[in-house]
Formats: sequence, structure tokens, C-alpha cells
Amino acid sequence: MVRQVVLTGLSVFALALSGLGLAQDLTPIEIMERMEDNQRATSNSALSKMQISTCRFGVKDSRITCAERPRIKLMESVGKGYGALLRDTRSVSILLEPAAERGIGMLTYAYDDATRDNESWLYLSALGRVKRIASGSDDDETEPGSLFGSEFTTEDMDTGKLEEYSINLLEESNQGGRDVWVVEMIPNEDRARKSRYSRTVNYIDKERFVPLRVEMYDQYDKEVKRMLGSRVEMMNGIWVSRSITMMNLVSNRLSNMAFLEMHTGIEVPDEFLTQRTLTDAAFRETELEKLRSQIQ
Amino acid sequence: MSSPSHLFASGVLVALLMATASAQQDDQPLVLDPDVSFDQDFGFDDDLFNAFGDEEDSGPDWLDDFTVRISQQFFGQANNHSVDLAPGFSFPREAELENNRLGINVRYQNAFAPGWLLQASGQARFYWNDDYEYEANHGRIDVEYRINEFFLQRSFGNESVKVGNQTVVWGETVGNSVLDVINHIEFRDLTIIDIEDARRNQFMVVWDHFGEGSTWSTFLNLYPEFNPAPVRGSPFFFEPPFNLPDYVRGDDRFFEIGTQWRKSLELTDISFMAAYLYENQLRYEDPIDGMGNAIPKKNDFVLLGFSANRAIGRLLLNFDLAFSHDVLADSFNIPGTAALASPLDLKKDRIGTSFGFEYAVDNEQSVSLGIQAQKVLDEDEGLLPGQTLVNEGLFGSWLVRYSNTLLNSDLTLSSTLQGDLEGDSLLAMLGVDYTLNDNWSVNAQIISITANSGSPLLFFDEDLRLGATISYAF
Repeated sequence: MVRQVVLTGLSVFALALSGLGLAQDLTPIEIMERMEDNQRATSNSALSKMQISTCRFGVKDSRITCAERPRIKLMESVGKGYGALLRDTRSVSILLEPAAERGIGMLTYAYDDATRDNESWLYLSALGRVKRIASGSDDDETEPGSLFGSEFTTEDMDTGKLEEYSINLLEESNQGGRDVWVVEMIPNEDRARKSRYSRTVNYIDKERFVPLRVEMYDQYDKEVKRMLGSRVEMMNGIWVSRSITMMNLVSNRLSNMAFLEMHTGIEVPDEFLTQRTLTDAAFRETELEKLRSQIQ
Repeated sequence: MSSPSHLFASGVLVALLMATASAQQDDQPLVLDPDVSFDQDFGFDDDLFNAFGDEEDSGPDWLDDFTVRISQQFFGQANNHSVDLAPGFSFPREAELENNRLGINVRYQNAFAPGWLLQASGQARFYWNDDYEYEANHGRIDVEYRINEFFLQRSFGNESVKVGNQTVVWGETVGNSVLDVINHIEFRDLTIIDIEDARRNQFMVVWDHFGEGSTWSTFLNLYPEFNPAPVRGSPFFFEPPFNLPDYVRGDDRFFEIGTQWRKSLELTDISFMAAYLYENQLRYEDPIDGMGNAIPKKNDFVLLGFSANRAIGRLLLNFDLAFSHDVLADSFNIPGTAALASPLDLKKDRIGTSFGFEYAVDNEQSVSLGIQAQKVLDEDEGLLPGQTLVNEGLFGSWLVRYSNTLLNSDLTLSSTLQGDLEGDSLLAMLGVDYTLNDNWSVNAQIISITANSGSPLLFFDEDLRLGATISYAF
């Protein structure tokens, strides 16, 4: 399920805490719950550097290639969980490249509670001030927003609310040489009104709990997007799909999110996840240095 | 108003909307093989993204602190017509190139030590053949340099202090806030219609205190500056009866000071502000002996303000309120033309509001509306029989913006309509921004102006302005 794949850059399944034998006994919803739990654990107190590359693509001999030079954005992101179960997230992302967009920063407060709208603020030097963004919630009956103009949308990055889906195990199969569960998620009536997908089919690595492929279908049951995960590596004790590619099969454009660096267990001060980080570059750079120093 | 240019403006707006609707119709999705694949290292150093080349030459680290944009701009008036100033009196407006210039903008930001930051930006302009600056320079290439930002920042604990050239922006309404009055501005020509591009920096000390859930921001401006007079030869320049010199400070020491308290609540930001300021636009009096330079006069006033926003799903509401004590009764909204104002020298109180909304229609499209309305209080008090204010009753402006981003934000189509509340003028702009790659981008604009005798934009009535800018950033 693609919406669980990318939160703050994480398509992660922690711990490999269960052996394969135990995992085999999981029900479809338990598989998804395990994904959610691990994901939250890893999105808390994280510092990451990501590269988002977007291009028009073509397919030849079952191989995908960019048909043009990709547009590349490099960003640094810091996130932290809040609330009793750490299900609310505060994150700040700063664009490092391209040069024309350097320094653009976005602060986001995402709430797990479906009744609370997410909040975002943007700092643009041309405006000379922090500006609240009318982004709404993933639970509005509106089209989800995209991440920095890429093919990744807020719906793709959403977590939680599993109770709003009917979850079925279609089969056990193989994807790229890995054993996978093929799990179908069908939104219920309420959720369907808020989603652009009528269903998703998720190919989940049995051992690592990493989705290797996700197919997204529209209301006519045509596949409109496909996500592919690769470069699954153990990072900081966590299995991570470091390269996630979202293909839009309608526009023939794709975005790849590559996690160049990702560090969890970072002590992130609450003050860093405020509007000050957007406007006060001296403060931001000083605090970022402190966060980076925790890695070494 | 139903002039050809007005019809054109309406036409391009409709065309843009139709193009948008058309672009959004779903095509048949590509049917992908189940086993479609790519290299294992996709996304990193694989050949998918490196197929186009060229590993970046990273160069020295200190270069990372610089951002440079080089741009060449062409802009001109394209409609041969005449403007009727009064019955039986009109003057011709020939199609001509107004801007042919190369610009270099450099920005530098360096956090050189913990808690310290140096930030600077500047620009150079080279005015080529047929640019109005070239003509004003007696047919010679003219070069102009300017430092914009240049400040040193020290952040420690909950405090931050910035000293140097910078801007201070108040208000929530983008484009025409009644609270955005601290920086002086320069609308040199009609290629600049956004206030964000027209603001100029001043030498200030700004102290921010980041408290628990709220922020205090205080500025002290020891060298207040004023809107520059229109540059000779520019579209906004009209031969005045007297020269319009800069303000001569001499031993006159004056300052501006203000503070703002801002708090973010869930889905809402609010702020209160108070300031002692000088009006950005100088008021010119006729020279005493009737010849030579006009006499520039400055005017101080007190501003009290409140601003707020409220997010409701994809709708963001904005509201600004300003009370100005002791402002000059006669002032125009368009800078540079105040020199033509009537010689009324009277201080008044003024109340103003700007409000509007921004609505994200979907992933790609957004619409915003801003309305600014002001009223001079006790209008008639102090007027001699027969005297009237230039701005009587409610006056102000409105602004509508629409933008549509396509191709993962590489292509942005935008449209702006701007007018005054009295319906005396309408400015319509259609813009296209296309990003070719990480370095190159192209911008094109079409601007149509309609105005009647009630508006200072009358001189631009039926103008149709076309322009293009190509930029390289690194």
C-alpha cells in the first residue's frame, strides 16, 4: 500500500523483529499494522537527505528509461512524532537544490486524527515572510497535494486509518526474486470518496516487510500509477527501500525518491520544528549542525 | 469598459481556463507489463538518471553559498493607438521596445559560525540598444548596480538580531496588504506588477524574540528612505513642471520604529502591530520662486494594525486591518505619480482593510483574491470651500490571481487581473513560466491595460504589452 511507503522518506520496516515463521502466520491486516508500527518508529526523530528526480519516461523491452533529462530536487528533512502514540508528525524540509529554489522551506504538522486538518507553512524569500499554505487534510474530499511538484502525493504518503479499508491477501508470489505477499486494499465508502484510487495491490517482501511494488487503480479499475521499491538496505537497524519510484501511467511521468542519507534516533529539539527554522537561517544552520553531529 | 484590449484580456483568461480544462481531461493510461523492470540501482548512481550525463563538477565549497541568476529581458508596447485625454485632445502611443536589458542577480548566504549568518544580494543591469534607459543615457549602453540585502544576523537562545539592509513585511494579504507599508517601493516600469518584486531594502536593526508559542519582532530604521521618483524615460515618467529631487536630510535626524506580536493557533495565525513611520511617498510642493526644484516634504504617522488568517481545508482566508493616524489626506495608490497631486496639505486619519482568500482548486490550480479598501476619516474637516480630496469615500484596489502548474511544476500558466474599486482601470496579465532544466527557464508575459479618465493609468489605456525573459541560474 503505497500510502505507507513514503512518509518523511520512509518505506521502512523495522527490526525484522519477527522471524519468517512468525510472519507467515500474520493476517493481511496484521501485515499492514506491522508496517504502520514500524514506520512510525522510524519516522520519529529522523534526519534524512533525499533526492527527488522527475522525468517523462518510456518503456522498451520491459525496461523503463527516462525520455528526457530528469529534473532533480535535493532536500534535507527532519521529522519527529508527537502525541501519546507518536502518531502526529512535525517535519521541516529545506530544498538544497536546484539553485533557483535553494532555501525554500516547508514546515508541516500532520495529525493522525481524521477530524484535524494538517497545517503547512512555507517560507519564500520573495514574499519576505512565512506564509500558511491552504493544503487541507488528506481526509478532505479533494484531490491530494503533491510533494514539491513530484508524482508523490499526500495520499501516497499517508498513514493510519486501516479500519477504513477492506484488506485481502490475494496470493503469495515472487517479485524481483523476493517472496512477497500480494495484498489488496479496497477503501470503504467513506474512504473511497476521499481517495483517487479504487483499490491498491501491494507486493510486500515477506522477510523485510518492504513493499516492492504497488499498483494503484482508478474507478474504472485501470492501473493509473505504479510504485516500485528497490535498493532495500539495512540502515540504522531498519530495512529501508532507499529508492522509490512512482510512475504515473496517465501522464507517462515518473518521480524517483532516493534516500541518500537517513538517520533515526536523532534528538530533535521541539524549537527546531517551528516557524523559526524557516525564517531564522542562522538558527536553522546551527541546529542542523547539531543534529548532524549526533550522527558521527 | 469594452475596449479591444479589455476584450483581449477577457479572451486570454477564458482561453487559459479552457486550456486548463482540456489539459486535465484524462487520457488512457499506459498499460504496463506486470514484470516491467529496471536496474537494481535505479535512482542512485544507476544509468537511468546518469544517462544524460555529466556528473556535476562540484567546485569549491564556498561557491555553494552563492546563487546567481542571469537573465535577458525584452519587453515592449505592441498596440499602435492613441489615448484620449480630453475631448479633442489625444496623443499617439506607438508600438515600441521599452526593455532590452541583461540582468545579473547574485545572492549570498553563509552561516559562517554557530549562530552567525551573513546574507547579501545585489543586482546589475545592462541596458542595451532601444531600452528606455539606453535612450535616456543619450544612446549609450548604461549599466546600473544595486545592493539589495546586506545584513549580519546573530541568533542565540530565543533571540535573533539582524543588522543591515533588509525588508520587513507585515500583513497576510499577498499583493496589496494595507499593512505592507514599511519598505519603500519602486515600480519603475510595467514589467513589475507584483509588490514583492518592487520592495526595496532599508538599513535596519531587527530583533526577534521567539517565545513559547508566540513571536515578538521589533525593527528600528535609522535611515528611512522614500519611493524614488520615476526614472526619466520609463513608462511611469511624465515630464513634471519642476524637477523632483530626493529628500535632502541635512541635519534632520529621523527614524522609524515598530513592533509586531505574532501567534500561531491551530489553523490560524494572528498578529498585532504598532509602528511610528514615515510615508514612503514624498509630497512635493512647488518651488517658492516658481522655478527649479520642487520641495520634497516627508510626513510621519502612526500605524496600528491587526492581521489574521484562517485555513479551512484548501481555503485560506486572509484579513488585515490598519489604522493610520496623521497621514496626508491626498495620496495615490500608484507610486511616482503623487508628484502630480493637488497641493492640499492636510493630515488625516485613515482606516484600511485588505482581505481575501487563496483556494487550492487541486494539485495544480490555485485561485486567490485580494481586496484593499481604505477610507479617510472626517473627510471634510479642514477643507476650504470648493476643495475636495483626491480619494473621497471608499477607495482601493482588487487583485485576482489564477495559476495552473503542469508537467510536475515545470510549466506554470498564470493570470492576474487587477483594478481599482471605482472600476476606472483594469490590468490583465497572462504569464507563462517554463523551466527547461535545473538551470534554464523562460518567462513570457502579455499585459493589457484599460483605464478611463478617473485613473492615473489613463496614459496606458489600450496598451498591449508583450515581454519575454530567459534566465540561467546556478
